[in-house]
Amino acid sequence: MRPVFAFLLLALLCFASTKSEETDFEEDDGDFAEFDDGNFYAEPAAKNADSFSGGAERIESQDRPKETRKPVQNVESEEEDGIVEDDDEFEHFQDEEEFEGYDGGDSKDPPIDQKVEPKLNIPNIPLHFRTHWDSYWMEMLMVAGLLAYFANFFAGKAKNARLAQLWFSTHRALLDENFALVGDDGKAENENPGLIKESESLYTLWCSGRTCCEGMLVELKMIKRQDLVSLVAGLMRPQLDQAHIKIELTRGVMDAFVFAVGTKKTITKVFKEYTDLSKFCSLVGKPEDRYNVPTGFGVLSEVPEATSAILESRVITALNKYQSYIDYLHISDQFSGPIQQEEGGTLKQPETKAVLLAGFNLPKHAEMETIKPLLLLIFYLMERLKTYRMSKEGKAKSDKNRQRVEEEFLKSTHAARAEAAAQRREDKRKQEKERILADEDPEKQRRWEAKEQKRQAKRNAPKMKRLAVKSL
Amino acid sequence: MSIDPRRKEKINRYKAPKNQGQSGGANEDMMPDYMNILGMIFSMCGLMMKLKWCAWFALYCSCISFASSRASDDAKQVLSSFMLSVSAVVMSYLQNPAAMTPPWAS
Repeated sequence: MRPVFAFLLLALLCFASTKSEETDFEEDDGDFAEFDDGNFYAEPAAKNADSFSGGAERIESQDRPKETRKPVQNVESEEEDGIVEDDDEFEHFQDEEEFEGYDGGDSKDPPIDQKVEPKLNIPNIPLHFRTHWDSYWMEMLMVAGLLAYFANFFAGKAKNARLAQLWFSTHRALLDENFALVGDDGKAENENPGLIKESESLYTLWCSGRTCCEGMLVELKMIKRQDLVSLVAGLMRPQLDQAHIKIELTRGVMDAFVFAVGTKKTITKVFKEYTDLSKFCSLVGKPEDRYNVPTGFGVLSEVPEATSAILESRVITALNKYQSYIDYLHISDQFSGPIQQEEGGTLKQPETKAVLLAGFNLPKHAEMETIKPLLLLIFYLMERLKTYRMSKEGKAKSDKNRQRVEEEFLKSTHAARAEAAAQRREDKRKQEKERILADEDPEKQRRWEAKEQKRQAKRNAPKMKRLAVKSL
Repeated sequence: MSIDPRRKEKINRYKAPKNQGQSGGANEDMMPDYMNILGMIFSMCGLMMKLKWCAWFALYCSCISFASSRASDDAKQVLSSFMLSVSAVVMSYLQNPAAMTPPWAS
């Protein structure tokens, strides 16, 4: 019975050990294959963790059979374990896959000559040149953008200059007929009569020496063709070349009233912006019916009588005909520029001028002849202002308005003016005190102090009195 | 017009507006000034924080400022803004010659 038992046990052990070896090698192969690929470092951490934990399990499984084997080996008889031991312990040393690249003494590979070093080509290139020129595409884009900007700058500048010159040459004859001086640069000797370039998109022309006006300033505001960014912005909000005319009228030439007509958009804008318009005028409802202005136009009027006198049939015809070219017409005897921000120190009313302002759009295709009659319209309006006189009622109304505005201004600045007056008084007293103190006559000082005390008492007394009256 | 409207005795010489900032008011073009300041800020960012795109933007800003500057403006200001932005670009590439990476790539 015993030999049979021993044989069975041996057979079982043999089977178990061969089985565990097989699984060991299989798993080991798999384990090292992962390292061989060189993916180990590149793989995500999660996978690494997997492989590590897998590895740990495998190590355990590797260890387990050995542990189980050890007691068995001890139990086994000496004559039988030879076959198993050889296979078991050192077989993996012969496995080529197990020690890849390891140059074991008993390897079959031809020995490598140690004297000849492997030739490695390391190009001697600075770090930053290793990146190809292609990686500088952002820089190239930037430089290309700069080049495009400058190319556009020169082209746009030339076009603006050409347009301005075209306007000037078209209107030159008309201006020469009306003004004794056309084109002035403000220098002692008029060096270059003609347009003055304020910027690449703004040209000005000063004309003077005419009846009823002191001078006329024409501003040609072009689209900023020289600036690529503005051009791109203009694609979203289209702009037009514009001519702004400002005529300073001689005092007393025109009657006192404020009036403006123009495209609704501009009118609402200037209504908020300009002091005279916001203070004196009101927006006329349904101007199409009342004054026959073209649709899309708005009217700001102070004295209705004056407004209808200005918007007479010839002006209305011109407005209808050149509707697309007229931006606004603004006539005022109280012009003081745009509304100033509250500065606190403005105790005086701003200086006012009588002006005739006009804004025209320049035609898109440089056909300047088409807008030449608009300048004639301006001269016509100037003559009209000179001859037109309001009725008594109209005059009374405009006087009343001016008085009202003045009162409002005085009221709004009352506190500030009172403060300024108090400050002045205080300064005066301080000066006096210093003078007295500087004086070496004690008698004088005493007298002054008594006087000062009396004044203080006087200043406080009436208040008390008034309070007493009130309480009664 | 039958009567000649010209009057030689009424000639007034051109006076450039004294305070350009106020005369134009809302119509005054503030673009060159804004661009000048923006360019300066970008140049500083480019120089201090070594941001290449800031330096490039500064260069663009000074270009816009130059293009829309008035003839009466001080040319020195435009020139100094140019020099500052160019130096920002040059310095940022001297310090780190690597190519600029677009913000979405990093």
